Amino acid sequence: MAPTQFENLSEDLIWEVCRHNNAYLCKRKQAGGVQFSRDPMNLANKHSRKHAGFVNNKAIGINADSNTVGMTTKIASRQNKPAKSTHNSSFSASTPSRKLYRNVVNSTAKKGYRADLRGDAVARASAVKQSQREKKDTKEVKLRGAKARKAAAGNA
Amino acid sequence: MTSRPTVTIHGADGDPSNDTHPLPSVFKAPIRPDIVQAVHTGMAKNKRQPYAVSEKAGHQTSAESWGTGRAVARIPRVSGGGTHRAGQAAFGNQCRSGRMFAPTKVWRKWHQKINLGQKRFATASAIAASSSAALLLARGHHISTIPEVPLVISSKAFEAGALRKTSAAVKMLHEVGAGPDVDKVKASRKLRAGKGKLRGRRHKQRRGPLVVYDPTKDGKEMSLAFRNIPGVETCSVYALNLLQLAPGGHLGRFVIWTSSAFAALDSIYGSTTEPSELKRDFLLPSNLVAQPDITKLINSSEVQSVLRPVKGGAVTKRGNVQKKNPLRNKQVLLRLNPYAAVYSKEGLGHSKVKSEKPGALDEVFEKTLMEN
Repeated sequence: MAPTQFENLSEDLIWEVCRHNNAYLCKRKQAGGVQFSRDPMNLANKHSRKHAGFVNNKAIGINADSNTVGMTTKIASRQNKPAKSTHNSSFSASTPSRKLYRNVVNSTAKKGYRADLRGDAVARASAVKQSQREKKDTKEVKLRGAKARKAAAGNA
Repeated sequence: MTSRPTVTIHGADGDPSNDTHPLPSVFKAPIRPDIVQAVHTGMAKNKRQPYAVSEKAGHQTSAESWGTGRAVARIPRVSGGGTHRAGQAAFGNQCRSGRMFAPTKVWRKWHQKINLGQKRFATASAIAASSSAALLLARGHHISTIPEVPLVISSKAFEAGALRKTSAAVKMLHEVGAGPDVDKVKASRKLRAGKGKLRGRRHKQRRGPLVVYDPTKDGKEMSLAFRNIPGVETCSVYALNLLQLAPGGHLGRFVIWTSSAFAALDSIYGSTTEPSELKRDFLLPSNLVAQPDITKLINSSEVQSVLRPVKGGAVTKRGNVQKKNPLRNKQVLLRLNPYAAVYSKEGLGHSKVKSEKPGALDEVFEKTLMEN
C-alpha cells in the first residue's frame, strides 16, 4: 500500500466519506435497492470498497477503446497528479483472447498489483472482447418438405 | 510535524515551474463530512427572504355557522342571498376560497445561528478535502487532465490586471487542464423543473472550478474575467465560503489557487499550535486519529504482536463443497491413490501386456500326454 500523502486522508476515510453518495454511484429502487457504479476503473461495475476505482490507490480499468481492449492501471505514487496518475495500454483487435487474458494477468495480478481483482479483470477483458466480435449473419433457414417450400413461395 | 509535502506552482500555460510551496497546515485539517453538512444546511438557510400569504386571505367574508338543525355541516357559511356565494362554506382550509392550513407567517424562523468555531472547522475541513483527487472525482469534477491537486497557478499570470479578458481566462483554464470541467458545466445546463423557472432560477447547471485569489496581490480584475464562464466562480482567500467550497454539503470542490492566495493560507488559518493571525482565538482542529489507514493499523507490529496465532495452520477445512470425481480430477485421485502418479508416468495404463506366443510343444510332452 502506497503511503497516503497526508495524515488526515486514507483510502478508508475517503470511502466512508463518499460511500453514501458520489458521482459514480447509480442507485435503483428495483431488485432490493441495487447499487452500481459508473466508475471506469471499476471492473465489476459494483458499488463496493473493493471495486471502487477512484477510492483505491491501486485499481485496474478495462474498457473498450476504439475497437481494441484498453487497460488502465493507477500509479499509487502519483495520487495527487491526476494527469499522470494512470498507466494506459491497449491490446489490438487481433490479439487472441487467451493471450489477452494472459497479458492482463501478467501485467497486474502476477506482479502483486491487485491480485484480488484477477478474476474480475479477466472476466471484463473477455466481455469487452466479446462485445467487439463481429456478428455473423444468421443462417437462412432450410425449409423442410414440399409443403413448407410451397407456403414460402406463396408468401413471397 | 515530520515532512511537509510541497506543491508545485504551475505557470499559466500549465507547465510546472521550479517554484514550490510547502503545503499549508489547513490541508491537514480533519475531513469531517458530518460537520460540513450540518454547517452547510444552516448557512444555506441564511440567504432566504421571508415570504407569507396575506394575513387576510380567506377571511374577507362575514361567514357564520348555521348551527345544528339545518342538515348541513356546522362550518361557517357566507351570509346573505342573491348570489351563489351565499350559503357556501368559508374560512376552513378544506373550503373553496378558504384560508390555507396554518397560514405561513413572515416571522417564521428563517435564519440559523451557527457557532463560529463550527463554521471555521467546516471551512478548514472543506479546504483539506479539496486536496484529494479521489474526493474531487467523487464530487463529479473532470480532473483527469489537471497536473496536480491542489492546483496552484503562479500569481504572475494575474498580477497588475494581467488577466482582464474572459478569452484569456478561458485559454488559461484550458491550458491548466480545467477545460473538461468547464465543458462539463456548459453541457449540463438544463431548464429547471417547476415554478423556480419564474422566480429567477431558470436554469440548473453543475459547478466548475473555484478560483481563489488574494485581492491584495492579484487584484480584482480577474474576477471580472472569470465571471461569464459558466460554472467558474472566484473567491477571495480571505473570505472563503463553505457554500462554494462544499456545494450541497458535499466535500471536494475543484479549487484553483493563485500562488499568493496559497501562500496566504498559513497566515489566515495558522496551524494546530500557532494561532491564526487574522482569525481571533483560532487554532486549526487536530486529527483525533493519528493513522487513518485501517490496513496499516491492522498490519502494524503493535496490533500483530498481540494477536493469537492462526488456528489450524495452512490447511483449512472446507465445508459444503462439491464432491470431486477422482476419475476426472487428478489431484483428488492422487490423494486417494498415490500410486496413480507412477502408474500414469510409466504409462502402465496403455502399455501392452508382454506375452510371448507359446512355443511348439515338446515332443516328449505330447508323447507323455497321449500315452495310453
